[in-house]
Amino acid sequence: MKWLKKWAYLLLVAGMGAVYLSCVDKWQVYAEAFDRTRDLCQDLFWGERPPSEDPAPVQSAADGAGKGEEGEAVPEGQKSSRTGTRVSDGDTGTPAGQDAPDGGEPVYMTVGDDYFSDAVFIGDSRTVGLYEYGGLEEISTFYASKGLTVYKMLESPVVEVPYQRKKLTIEEALQRNSFQKIYLMVGINEMGTGTVETFVERYEEVADHLLELQPDAILYIQGIMKVTAERSGQGDYITNEGIEERNQALARLADNKRIFYLDVNPLICDETGGMDPDYTFDGVHLKAQYMDIWKDYLKEHAVDLGGQLQQEQQ
Amino acid sequence: MIFSSIEFLLFFLPLFLLVYGSIPLKMRNTALFIGSLIFYAMGEWRFLPLLLASVAVNFLLGRSMALPVKQRGARRERLRSARRNKLLLTAAVLGNIGLLALAKWRSASGSAALPLGISFYTFQMLSYLIDVYRGEQKKENSFVRFAAYITMFPQLVSGPIVSYGEVRRELRCRRFNAGTLQEGLKVFTMGLAAKVMLADRIGLLWNEVEVTGFECISTPLAWLGALAFSLKIYFDFYGYSLMAVGLGRMLGFELPENFKDPYMAVTVRDFYRRWHITLGRWFCKYVYIPLGGNRRGEFRTVCNLLAVWLLTALWHGGSGNFLIWGLMIWLLITLERQCEARKLDRLFRRGVFRAIPHFYLWAVIPVTWMCFAITDVSQLQLYLGRMFGAVEGIRVNAADWKNALETYWYLFGAGFIACTPAIARIFRRWKDSPVGMILLAVLFWACVWRLQAAGQNPFLYINF
Repeated sequence: MKWLKKWAYLLLVAGMGAVYLSCVDKWQVYAEAFDRTRDLCQDLFWGERPPSEDPAPVQSAADGAGKGEEGEAVPEGQKSSRTGTRVSDGDTGTPAGQDAPDGGEPVYMTVGDDYFSDAVFIGDSRTVGLYEYGGLEEISTFYASKGLTVYKMLESPVVEVPYQRKKLTIEEALQRNSFQKIYLMVGINEMGTGTVETFVERYEEVADHLLELQPDAILYIQGIMKVTAERSGQGDYITNEGIEERNQALARLADNKRIFYLDVNPLICDETGGMDPDYTFDGVHLKAQYMDIWKDYLKEHAVDLGGQLQQEQQ
Repeated sequence: MIFSSIEFLLFFLPLFLLVYGSIPLKMRNTALFIGSLIFYAMGEWRFLPLLLASVAVNFLLGRSMALPVKQRGARRERLRSARRNKLLLTAAVLGNIGLLALAKWRSASGSAALPLGISFYTFQMLSYLIDVYRGEQKKENSFVRFAAYITMFPQLVSGPIVSYGEVRRELRCRRFNAGTLQEGLKVFTMGLAAKVMLADRIGLLWNEVEVTGFECISTPLAWLGALAFSLKIYFDFYGYSLMAVGLGRMLGFELPENFKDPYMAVTVRDFYRRWHITLGRWFCKYVYIPLGGNRRGEFRTVCNLLAVWLLTALWHGGSGNFLIWGLMIWLLITLERQCEARKLDRLFRRGVFRAIPHFYLWAVIPVTWMCFAITDVSQLQLYLGRMFGAVEGIRVNAADWKNALETYWYLFGAGFIACTPAIARIFRRWKDSPVGMILLAVLFWACVWRLQAAGQNPFLYINF
């Protein structure tokens, strides 16, 4: 008993550590280190390893994303519902059920701030920046939150309601309010998760679901804003090449009827292909004073909704 | 490798302690030396040769100094050995300072990274050599002991700057038992919590301000950002120093305290007697006092202070903002000296007036920290301009500071409480009681949990 008293604190820390590692971490820290050491030893002693293995963290992240999707996958039948609820504008008359881009080149026009009065902006911290410094906070609705991802987008509690402590999820908020335009920009937080295919697949599900919730709305999918070349070369999974790949896949989701693809990158990137370092401090977010580049781009790329603008002008 | 990392907490430290505790006493300095080299190499292996070369050369320089006072022997011989010592010391000072200056200059101009810990280990070796030269310390004849003193991992990369006299006895014989080990671990836990639970989190507000861009923040937010940075840099550095002291105690060393509640000070002078004490002490002993200290009249004192603060600024970094920072502090200290000489400080000794100096400190220190934090001088001008409303903002969101307070109020609250001596007092009172120990153990693993969460998802803190 004497030594128990003597070593009490160390035993406490070790014991609690054992509990913590078993319950929270499942001993992954040590398992991963063990695997890595084993691989290293194999490299050293047997020369080469089978080349099939990917770096472990990416694989596990992809697994995690896969599991997440299984849980909340939209049934196949629902997928085609997008064409069913599509606002008919009666000019091209595409056969229902076809997913290919079919609206032709969209015609964009320049609009004023009030175009955004029935718009909702959904996105991550970059959209939060637009909310805080874009001068639209009085005009439009923003369902934006730091770290928002396409995987957890609908069930994230981000919408504040006056006189209510609990925040609404984006899904609940979209059920209660109706909008004409949805602006969506997510994707930078997902860079380390899944592959281009799994990301776009999930993105499409979410896009479809948004249009289901808002049957009168059109959806602007915004390409993921790039980062500076320096940030891109920092050695983690956020690279401009990766963003470009995902953006190309996102662009294919547009049908130019209800879903449009916008990409502000050409305006904020320099010759390196990354965000201009003058526009940002951390290489990821636009500084507040340059938020207008983005906002003006959106104003110059507004889709005419069935002559709505002409009516307003008249 | 830094202390607040999974690799250190869950791999290096337990393994090292196992080895260190199980080998015979005589080999512990060797183990400490080798362990420290591994620790250093895991952080930045490219600079390991530089560290080793520096330690070896300085060891040889110290060893070849003749004993300064020779009782016997001819006068001429004494003179010769004195001259030789002088030459050796000059070479050592020039070499070490030159190397440090070169490294600082290269990192300031962006051409190379600063070798890890060079500011700290260079100063430590200089203090040893000067002490030996002055005859205040006997020289160390064992390379392993000297190398263990310089490189011991608790203080290698971020101080405290330990003088040789403080650990001389412990390098020869030190205690390593249940008492010291656990005592050290408790102190370490407090330091870890300061870093992980306070510094890393309140630092996010400062990061947000930087991301927004200084042109677009409101004046209240500029002040909040400065306050957040002031708290962040304190808990960062204080936490790190506390962890160093804790680790030292775990291994059987008594390392000096680096901070004594600096934000409870009432003057800037007082503040820097409580902030990074081991550095202040170094400059005092090896620069200020040799220049004459305060014994040669007020004008000379002010000049000496200027020299000290310019050197302190250069020690922190070669870029212009550090000079502004150093000059600002020098100016404030000089003004405070003048006020004190005119006995103005007596006005603030009674009643509610006692609060005024505290407000003064909390108003002035964040401004000086901004000069420290913002390395681009034009950006610094902009930030100070926003703080004092001298520069017009662009697209300022007038409510931004309210949002910031809404998110960070509890961290500010916790930070202010942790700036008072209350936490340390509670720690001393309860650390040995069962409840206190359980809480500390929980705190330790809570920190590990946060670190792990941040490691798996780097954007838990800074997510986009």
